[in-house]
Parts: sequence; structure tokens; C-alpha cells
Amino acid sequence: MDETVAEYIRRTVLKIPRDEIKMMLQKWGFLSEAQLQTLNFHQIKDNISQEVVQLCEENAADIKQAAVLDIIYNHTYQNKRMWSVYQMRKTGEELEYFDLTDFKKKFKRRLQSALKNVTITFREYEDDAIWIRVAWGTPYRQPNQYKPSYVVYHSQTPYVFISASVLKSNLPLLCQALIVASNYHDIREMELRSHSLNSLKDIVFKRYSQNFHTYCPKPPQARAVEPGSVDLRIINENRSEKERIQRLNQEAFGDGPQPILQFAQYKLETMFKSSPEMDVLDKKEPFRCLVKFSSPHLLESLKSLAPAGMADAPLSPLLTCIPQKARNYFRIREKKGFFPESFVSP
Amino acid sequence: ESGDPQKTALLLRKAWTLYSVTPLYRFCRGRLRDYARLLSAFIAAEKQKGLAVEVGVELDIKVALSSLPELQGSEQDEPAVLVQLSSRSRASPKNSEDKIVWSGCFCCVYGDDLSENMPEDFTCLPLFLANGAESYTSVVGSWFQKTFDCTFRRLAISPFSLSWMVAMWAGCKVDKAASAVELVFSVPHLPQPLDISYAIHPEDAKALWDTIQKTPGEITQEEVDVFMDCLYSHFHRHFKIRLSATKLVKVSTAIASAHCDGIVKMLHSQYLSGVLMLLTELAISQIQ
Repeated sequence: MDETVAEYIRRTVLKIPRDEIKMMLQKWGFLSEAQLQTLNFHQIKDNISQEVVQLCEENAADIKQAAVLDIIYNHTYQNKRMWSVYQMRKTGEELEYFDLTDFKKKFKRRLQSALKNVTITFREYEDDAIWIRVAWGTPYRQPNQYKPSYVVYHSQTPYVFISASVLKSNLPLLCQALIVASNYHDIREMELRSHSLNSLKDIVFKRYSQNFHTYCPKPPQARAVEPGSVDLRIINENRSEKERIQRLNQEAFGDGPQPILQFAQYKLETMFKSSPEMDVLDKKEPFRCLVKFSSPHLLESLKSLAPAGMADAPLSPLLTCIPQKARNYFRIREKKGFFPESFVSP
Repeated sequence: ESGDPQKTALLLRKAWTLYSVTPLYRFCRGRLRDYARLLSAFIAAEKQKGLAVEVGVELDIKVALSSLPELQGSEQDEPAVLVQLSSRSRASPKNSEDKIVWSGCFCCVYGDDLSENMPEDFTCLPLFLANGAESYTSVVGSWFQKTFDCTFRRLAISPFSLSWMVAMWAGCKVDKAASAVELVFSVPHLPQPLDISYAIHPEDAKALWDTIQKTPGEITQEEVDVFMDCLYSHFHRHFKIRLSATKLVKVSTAIASAHCDGIVKMLHSQYLSGVLMLLTELAISQIQ
């Protein structure tokens, strides 16, 4: 077995938390059940990975099999990576029958004709997701297995999720291979990025609970009271205000759990306006700002601002439109015309 | 105003942790060499006692104390005192250069408020800046506290002071390629914490400040308030969020940046003195 393959397998196993190693090796299926029985999973990871490499040596593993283990690891820990969303476009409206074999063949052919040295691995999952791993080389150098790109494609949709490696120069080639293989004619990057792959899918596949324009709000009801905890002497101040905020929040964000995003960025190119009594800046040029919101769970965080008294309800549509517009990067310019207070986002 | 660029350049582009220091008792400027030797012995003793500073590498620590006369504001100010710890690994060759592993600077820029009525035996150097491993700061601080009967305290910077800093620094004249005027707010007590970075183009921030400031060279509390209110209301207009209800934790401009935990970075030699003057004032408030 090639020593670079051995080292790669050793390092991949080392990344896996000790309790998960057995399960992941089973999913991989490259080592037999009998071989797995011989492994001692109670020792330190360094030793476990050495033993795994030895077994792989017995089975003469090559880089193709090692790459499959890597896809399995990244599929399990997909939220460690940052994912960007791309949308593909077709000229016609015809729904073509998707042929997986044909897709794989065309994809490989496109990449291999441009770069002799690439490692391409496919793995299909039950939810119709096709995972593709590409390790990039050059005509003169073997592929760098430690900086691969990952692509997740749901063939029934025009969306592709890409976690590119640091080597951004390969991105155009990757995009080209995707449209050629899937029979689309165009691909563009959406302004949408997150660690949570499932949340990105929720947003673009519209799987979160949206609020529709015809949504009829339920009349404000008293919250269900826990039995035995009612003390009639305690009244809630500003109850109607609290309920109003609750209702507006619900209309804006919907009822269900929010998709998980880590940040939203706004490039503001609007005019500065102050109240007339403040004798300040009144330029004809935009007041240029860059605003970035960050949180482990941004939408939940924004949703809690109004109830916490830090924001008005309803919250600005610039923030609440994030899932509907399927973007978390915005450029806001002043809208010309009758309503100088409103904004457009291109 | 700006002294020897070589010396003062030591302070630029490093992240300094701030402390306030009470006046030093019987500190003698002529004895800097002696102090260096004593401090060196103290550090060696602490290392023997098991204060592990750097694991695995055997380091001999050399101590140097020097005066920085360039860093003072008025005639009454004490010139700054620079403490540098350098090391040479025992493994490296004899003629290799020493590497500075830790720096500390005691200074006082326009500290008249404190030094005015100070008895003779006391030296006023209320502001202390430390750069390097916390363990070294602790050892050096202990020695100074024991030797000169003074007290070090971490200097936190309130949102109030941060607003002053950003207003002041946003108004400074800078070159074309200047970095943005950035304010960072934190909202920690939500179910999911939120951080907001609000960065303004430096030309636009300066233009705003210029229409607010009435007298060049003078800044009033009212002007700072108006500046901040303008920024808050521009933000509110877009996002409906009240920044004044959140915590301002960091401000950053081409002149300097400051974090509420008492960490600053000075970036522009021309304004070094001004920044130190502001920090000296904060240190003195904490002492008094």
C-alpha cells in the first residue's frame, strides 16, 4: 500500500471522535466485520489509527477507498465546513430524466480532460443527495488529498452546495463540470453561506415554515397556564404590548424552527438622514457602511430582540427577508422616487 | 510632540493590556540597572519555584529597564519607563540575537491631576501597558508591587469611554487608504448571543464628525453624544434595532483600536501622545 495513502487514512481516522470510529469504519465497509473485531477501541486514538492502517495494508487499500472514508467523515460532520449555494439554470423548461451514470461519466470526463491528476469520488445518500469529493492536482503534481472540495447535488433541484477548498482557482472548472454533467447551461453563486448544510437546504427548498401574505393571525390568546401556578395577585404589565410583539414576530418569522445561519452582512449605500433639529451632515452622497451580524444561530437571535426590548416590532424586513430571499449578503441602495425611506436590495 | 520615532515605534501595532498603577514609593531613576538585575534574579527564582513560563524550552531571561523621555506630555510628567524581557534559548548559537518575549511600559501623559499634590518620595506613572505572556506580566507586576509598594489593577474601558475614543479618532485626518471606523456591539443575554459589527467608511465618519464639532481641538460630551446618536439612528432606520440598548465592546479606527477588556492597539505615530493622554486619564480615574 502506498505510504501516502497509509498516512492519509491514519490522519482521517485520527479526526474521528473515539466513540464514533467503529461505526464509521462499519459504514465504510472496506474492512470486514472479522477484521473490525480485532480492533481494540479502548486504547488511545493514535494506536487505534495505527491498527486500522495495518488492516488496510492487508486489504491493499488505495486512494479511492481512502477517499470514500473521507466523504463519510465529512457527511457525518458536515457542519464543520462552510457551505455556499449555487443555482443552475436551463434554457428550456423540459424536465429531463436524470441519469446518474451519465452524470458521473460526464463530470469525470470534463475534469480529467482539463487536469490529468484529480481524484473524484461519488457517494449517494437516501435523501437523493449526491456527494462528490474532488481532490485537485495539476498536470505535474499528484492531487492534494488534504484540501478537497465537496459538492452536494440534489438531482431533482437546480441547486448545488459547494464547500470549496482553499484553492479557489479550481472553482470555475468545478462549476463547468457540474453544468456539463447535469445538462444545465449556466450556474451562478447565490449570496448565501452557512455552516449548516441542512438549513441551507431548508431555505432554498423552502422547507421551513414560511409566512404567507394571506396569513391570518390568530387572535391573541392567553398562554396555557401551568396548573397550580396561577397567582391572581400577579398581573403582567404591558401584556397587550408583549402580545403584540409576539404576534408580529410570529408573522415575520413563522412558527417553526428557524434555519441555522451564522451571519448576515449588509453593505449600506444609503443617504444619511437625521432629524431636522440636529444640524448635522446633509450630504448628497451615500453614507457608506458595512454591517455584519454574527451569532451561532442568527435568526433565532434576531427573533428574540424585540421581546427583549432591544428592537422594534415588526423587525426590519431587511432582516426578516433572509430565508425568503435565500441570501445573507446584501447591498442596500437608496430607492429613488416617492418614498425616500424605503430601500431596495438588488 | 512626537519623539524619537525608533523608540516610540515600539508601542505601535502591538496589542497592549492596560493596567492602572498607584504611585511608586522611592523609585529612583538612577538605579534602573540595579532594578534590572534584581528583577532578573526574582524571575529566575520564580522559575526555580516551578512557575512554568514556557514548557520544554530552557530560556535565560534577560531584563532591561530604560527611560523613554519622548513619552511624556507636560513638564510635570515623569518620563516613561520601559521594561523588556528578552531570551536566548540555551540551544541556539552564542552569537544569535536575543528575542524580546515581553514588554511593559509605565507612562504618564498629562497626568497633572495625579502628580500635582504628590509627596516627594512618590513617582507617578499611573498607566501600565503590557505585551506578552500573562505569566510574565504577573511576575514583573509582583516584583514592582513588592519593591515599590504599589498596586496594579486591570483597566477596563467603559462603553462611555469607548464612545469618546471613536468620536475623537474618527475626526482625525488620515490618508486615503485608512481603515474603516468600526464599532462592535455585543448582546450576550439573548437565548442565542448576537454580535454586531458596524463599520463606516472613514471619510464619511469624518464628514459627519466635522459637522458636529464646533471648535477644532475641543470636544464636548454633547458632541460625542450627538455623534453616537446619529450613528444609532442611521442604524435604527435600516434595522429597527436599538444599538443604545446593546453593549459597545470594541472600537477600531486607523488611529487606534480599543476593547472594553482594557486592550488597545495604537496604529498611528502622530496621534500616539493623544491616545496615551486619554488612557492616562482613565488610569488616574481608576486610582482615585
